[in-house]
Amino acid sequence: MQRSTLDRPNPLPREVAPGVFWLGECLEQRQQGKIYHGCNAAFLIVGGAASMLVETGHPKDFPIIEAQLKRLLAGKPPLKYLFVTHQETPHSGGLGRVLSRYPEAVLCGDVSDYHLAFPEYEHRMRAMQEGDEIDLGGRGFRAVEPVVRDMRTTWWGFETRERVLFPGDGFAYSHYHEDGHCGLVAEEADSLDLQDTTAVFADLALWWTKWADMRNYCARLDALIEALGVKTVAPTHGLVITDVARTMPKVKEGLLYGSRVAERGTNDASFGKKAVPASDETVG
Amino acid sequence: MLDRTRSRNVAELSADKLFALQNPMRLDGRVSAYPASARGYSVSNCFLLRQPDAAWLIDTGFGGDEPALRAQIESLIPRTLPLSLLPLRHNEFMSIQNVEPFAAYFNVKECFTANPDAALWFDFGAGSDKGEDTLLRLKITTISREETIPIGDLGRPVIVYQAPIRLIATRWIYDAATKTLFSSDMFTHTWRESAEGPWIIQDGDDDPTDFDHVRSFLLNTRYWWLEGVDTAKLRAGMDMILSKHDIETIAPAYGCVLRGRKTVAKHVKLVDDVLRSLDRSVATSRYVGRDEER
Repeated sequence: MQRSTLDRPNPLPREVAPGVFWLGECLEQRQQGKIYHGCNAAFLIVGGAASMLVETGHPKDFPIIEAQLKRLLAGKPPLKYLFVTHQETPHSGGLGRVLSRYPEAVLCGDVSDYHLAFPEYEHRMRAMQEGDEIDLGGRGFRAVEPVVRDMRTTWWGFETRERVLFPGDGFAYSHYHEDGHCGLVAEEADSLDLQDTTAVFADLALWWTKWADMRNYCARLDALIEALGVKTVAPTHGLVITDVARTMPKVKEGLLYGSRVAERGTNDASFGKKAVPASDETVG
Repeated sequence: MLDRTRSRNVAELSADKLFALQNPMRLDGRVSAYPASARGYSVSNCFLLRQPDAAWLIDTGFGGDEPALRAQIESLIPRTLPLSLLPLRHNEFMSIQNVEPFAAYFNVKECFTANPDAALWFDFGAGSDKGEDTLLRLKITTISREETIPIGDLGRPVIVYQAPIRLIATRWIYDAATKTLFSSDMFTHTWRESAEGPWIIQDGDDDPTDFDHVRSFLLNTRYWWLEGVDTAKLRAGMDMILSKHDIETIAPAYGCVLRGRKTVAKHVKLVDDVLRSLDRSVATSRYVGRDEER
């Protein structure tokens, strides 16, 4: 097993809004005889008084994210908050290591299960409810309605100054490494077929979206984005969206398309030259 | 080897062959597998399948339970016995958090998963922070949607399925030797007032579980999205597995183990009845808010 599956320079970190940094690196996923590149991001928000890490990144990426944090936080307000959208390990797997490295930091969000996984840090876990806001100094971070979610314990996050939405599993889609999409925002990735790549993720990670009537969820998504005045979307599993009006319709088309088409045969044991099962166990 | 099978947290479900390792957890609104309003206690269940020449561990438990689980496993098998790990849900702490510590401590032969790069997903720092390379050395044996795998070399086939109803990537397992279905996050709908349990419901027990309870449980946990979808198709998928096998025990990841033909039949029918009542032919799929309790 290789520690990293990638063989080219990592384009991250990248500042995607003033004081908001996209961390981690791409995640390769074997699916239907192809290698899809996905994101399993973490984000750093630097406030005037405190910094916050949103998500902990893929477990394999922790050494990378730790080094990125060390560099970006030099001379900046300390990391005092860790927010994870939900309990799946691609989102929260690094929380023990983050809390051990940053003794001032507290975990916030829906903190279910974490006291069972890391009881030694239970005293540093703070539950948030919808609308609760953390003051980072000149900017706030609010727990908001998780429109597209899997676990019932999900919260989405919203940064109030630059109006950045952190939707966790929402807005999940892969990208094309061969087309140079790694580290690009969605609007820069001209050849990205959002409909197709969103449908692939529905197969892999959001199976319920293939059953429910997604028109209801798309409508609710529109309402949330309008109510919050979202300018940037920073998804855990998709390229960052910086032009919401232009890209949102494509994302919604992808959700609707993914819910209409049949499953594409994950785990069909026909990956590549060698008979290795393609996996639906590769995203969170 | 210690005999700890009389421990309240280790239940021998089939003589010499199958053991439930049941570690209690308090339900106070902070356990994602249960409704936010559930109060009392439940258990997280790992299962040890033992043969003379090998053993399997189904799910590896939460990190907080690692010392207890390690002792429970060691009370049942020698450390040197080849042990295979099979996490049923690849993205959840309860299934995978102790892969690394157990791989370091026991004679772990392999870990079964569909993802050839799975070891990359199991690193929560327990060993890697100390410079250990346990996960880099862990053998991953890939499995497909449905596969029969023997435990050891003495002929105990176990069938691994992709779960026919799931939220995230999930496996079910059927063990013919003990007539047990390991159902992961389904059939987890029981809990108790006391941490003492009991954690097995069997034929003849006073079992108050009813339709309303199961319906509410499913809609207030990870199956919040079921109302108004094509549950006929989901039920057919479940029935493909349930009707194919002779099942005397349902062994879920959380809550009481369900034992005996009457008990199994009752709970299978309850789940099926609830799913039927949620079908799109009689209910409407709509937006479901996060904290909407039903």
